[in-house]
Amino acid sequence: MPELKFEATVNGRKVAKSVKPFSRLLDFLRDDLNLTGTKEGCGAGECGTCSVFVNGTLVKSCLVPAAKARGTTIETVEGLARSGELSVLQKSFHKTGASQCGYCIPGMVMAATAAIRANPLVSNDEIKERLGGNICRCTGYSKIFEAVELARDVMNGARPATALLEDEVDEGQFIGANVRRLDAPSKVSGKLKYAGDMLMPDMLHVAVLRSPHAHARIVSIDTSAAESFPGVEGIVTSADVPGVDGFGVFVQDQPIMARGKVRYVGEAVAAVAADDELTAKRAAALIKIVYEPLPGLFDADEALKPGAPVIHDYAPNNVTKHIPIRKGDVEKAFSECDLIVENDYETQQVEHAYLEPEAGLAYVDHDGVVTVISPSQNITHHRHMLARILAKPINKVRFIMSPVGGGFGGKEDMIYQGMLALLAMKTGKPVRLVFTREESIASTAKRHPARIHYRSGFLKDGRLRAVSLRMVSDGGAYGLSTEGVMRKAAILGAGPYDIPNLQVDTIGVYTNNTPSGAFRSFGALQTQFATETQMDIAAEQLKLDPFEIRRINIMRNGAVTHTKQKLGSVSIARVLDALEAVSAWEKGAPAPQRGETRGDLGSEGARRACALDARFGERAEAKLKTEVA
Amino acid sequence: MLTCDSYLSPATLEEAFEAMAANAGRYRLVAGATDILPWAREGRAGDVHIPVLIDVAGIPELNRREVENGKVRLGAATPFQRFIDNKALMAALPVMPFVAVWFADDQIRESATIGGNLVNASPAADGTPPLLAHDAEVLLAARRNGTIHHRKLALSKFVEGPGRTALGEDEILLEVQCAALPKHGVAFEKVGQRRSLVISTVCVAALVELDDTNRKLADVRLAVAGIGPVPRRMDKIEAALKGQMPSARLLEDAAAIAGDLVASRTRQEYRREVVRGFVLRALVNAARRAGANDQLITPELEARYA
Repeated sequence: MPELKFEATVNGRKVAKSVKPFSRLLDFLRDDLNLTGTKEGCGAGECGTCSVFVNGTLVKSCLVPAAKARGTTIETVEGLARSGELSVLQKSFHKTGASQCGYCIPGMVMAATAAIRANPLVSNDEIKERLGGNICRCTGYSKIFEAVELARDVMNGARPATALLEDEVDEGQFIGANVRRLDAPSKVSGKLKYAGDMLMPDMLHVAVLRSPHAHARIVSIDTSAAESFPGVEGIVTSADVPGVDGFGVFVQDQPIMARGKVRYVGEAVAAVAADDELTAKRAAALIKIVYEPLPGLFDADEALKPGAPVIHDYAPNNVTKHIPIRKGDVEKAFSECDLIVENDYETQQVEHAYLEPEAGLAYVDHDGVVTVISPSQNITHHRHMLARILAKPINKVRFIMSPVGGGFGGKEDMIYQGMLALLAMKTGKPVRLVFTREESIASTAKRHPARIHYRSGFLKDGRLRAVSLRMVSDGGAYGLSTEGVMRKAAILGAGPYDIPNLQVDTIGVYTNNTPSGAFRSFGALQTQFATETQMDIAAEQLKLDPFEIRRINIMRNGAVTHTKQKLGSVSIARVLDALEAVSAWEKGAPAPQRGETRGDLGSEGARRACALDARFGERAEAKLKTEVA
Repeated sequence: MLTCDSYLSPATLEEAFEAMAANAGRYRLVAGATDILPWAREGRAGDVHIPVLIDVAGIPELNRREVENGKVRLGAATPFQRFIDNKALMAALPVMPFVAVWFADDQIRESATIGGNLVNASPAADGTPPLLAHDAEVLLAARRNGTIHHRKLALSKFVEGPGRTALGEDEILLEVQCAALPKHGVAFEKVGQRRSLVISTVCVAALVELDDTNRKLADVRLAVAGIGPVPRRMDKIEAALKGQMPSARLLEDAAAIAGDLVASRTRQEYRREVVRGFVLRALVNAARRAGANDQLITPELEARYA
């Protein structure tokens, strides 16, 4: 294939290289120039982690064919602080704590730079619009907007340059103080290397072949055509696992790669290491697998029915974990209640969508230590599991945690590190795998979807006397964190309320859906949604203010939870008071007919609806008309 | 992943036709490339190999931007961002800034072209309804027997179905041509799943001109996308409104027609509701922007629909 001659000025230096004709500007910057401050979060123009300037115009480099950028002047995040000193914007990101995981930050800094260059007096609304193409999953954006506003003001002299310095705090007084993050400079400058940015000499690239079936027996795997594909250095399947093949946070039910059968669409079946990513991908497509499809199970309630297909032999009833809690006499209490609120709730699967797709680098070091570098949220546990899987003593397995470009629980599971270890051992070379966004969404754990049947019994005065709660949760094809999520849901599910009679059952089941795993709040969110909705419905029916019905029932200092934990101090009363104040809540029972007469809507501090009118629309129109005239 | 054996960037129209002739049957034209790259990924087209990509974005004939004697000539390679920063275009095509500001994001708008948007012929294309409302024509060119032939076609005839246009295998879309409508009040209504980077579920473009006495709707142009296989004008509604003084009754009756146009395969009920509301809001907003006074668009109408 004829290469494309590429000449450009990048961060002030002339570069001349040959690139593949289909290279994207992003590939050129990362692979040919090793400018890894420019990230790939999605490859589809959605996330903005790859934003760079081309001839002074901000573009998403994953959507720009490299050929288009020939002869241009390119500026990447590395170019902003070429002098060694961070730019005003980078300093303000540091100051306000705008960088958390940091993976979106180089792109965010570039977009913010573009906004201020386009309009040095850019309004707060216009900042939001101009950053609209860049996604962050950690911050909720507030600190990022704060940073851009601060930089704008400093650059315009509206605030002194000293505003960029760390706030002074009294010796040792850090609570309530604004402390700058130590790792922020490396993030705002794009210098921090995430696993997918790391290189080693002789490094191979990995592609994974994944199951197209939700449930199927693997009849045969033929890797011969792929093995003989030029550039391929090694292929692994479950047959290459030397030890006890199984990982999982609570139950080690998941093999490194599918063993004997596949249990969900996207499950890894084989992995190929080759000279480059494209070769690995093309070789993986040559692996022939014969499947015998099995009946699939796609609904949590169906999984509990007698005669349902069995996903794991060890769990013939498809139950991953059932957590029952009993306190008092629920049925007796219900019979004495004035109001029983009974409803069914359902929550959905949710993807974590951290900006950094999974990535890892593995090698066997000079002492024979199998080493895996990855953004694992649980490296010590991974190390123990991998030692067992590889049948090696623990001192011959090492995990290095690379910066986590967002995890939210989604990187707790050892989904791909085992394949990398096996390939590093088989090829004797360092191997690196970087997930595509699609691969990340298809193959990694999600928030547990849940169905909840909920009964709450109240007295007329609002006292909650009994709760019965049954949650059936789809854990998907493997156990991962399901047991812990069920425990947490059971412990916290009934909310921060003192309930004398309680019956809780949380049941995680196996299906052939994408596995569910850890996700912020870890099971509590699903039940809280139901619990708080029950409270609101009860408030409406009992004609009580929603804050009041909660205050009647909350736990107080010294309360004992239904799992027998004595609580020293309980802050829910203060939380309710603060919430009532900031929301400008109008006291009274919920009454939908109040509608537009509500005074608390649109009050100070309430956010207005989404709009794109900082540059156009009614507010900007007068300005526009004058400019056009 | 999109792969190719060669990526050609012809500098002239002549060179482009040269490249097309030499690679007949094995090339694809690209302009902004913001659609083809995400398309060639897992879950959509998957891995795609196109032997030759011919990038037409740099050809001068596709980069004309002229407003002269009330006529607009808009090169097909015009990026969407120009509708927000090119004052002459903004004045001649006053609805386009409202379209562009909701289109993708600032960065993608720098690459994504109006020609690419038309040629892709998405049923939900944002660029098509406003240009339909302008009664735009497209200028196509082909080289046959060594000579370049041009033909003009109404945009409404050019877009034939989802992903289908009248563009011939050997043709390039050079320009969009239409009348400048600087005095029309405009509105663009769009709904999608978030604010930036979102493809329309439904969008409506409206252009309204008032008569000299500010008493009647002299001209009404409405076009919609996302409710059927191709974007379309809503001519029945236009006819019902032209020459009339807007009242709640008149607007409601006209908007009621919109729902019947929905021919989408999914979410029909939702789209019917949305398009009806969009027509009402777009009409009121466009009339206001055309300079309608309180007698023409009463505060009550505005409060109810805008």
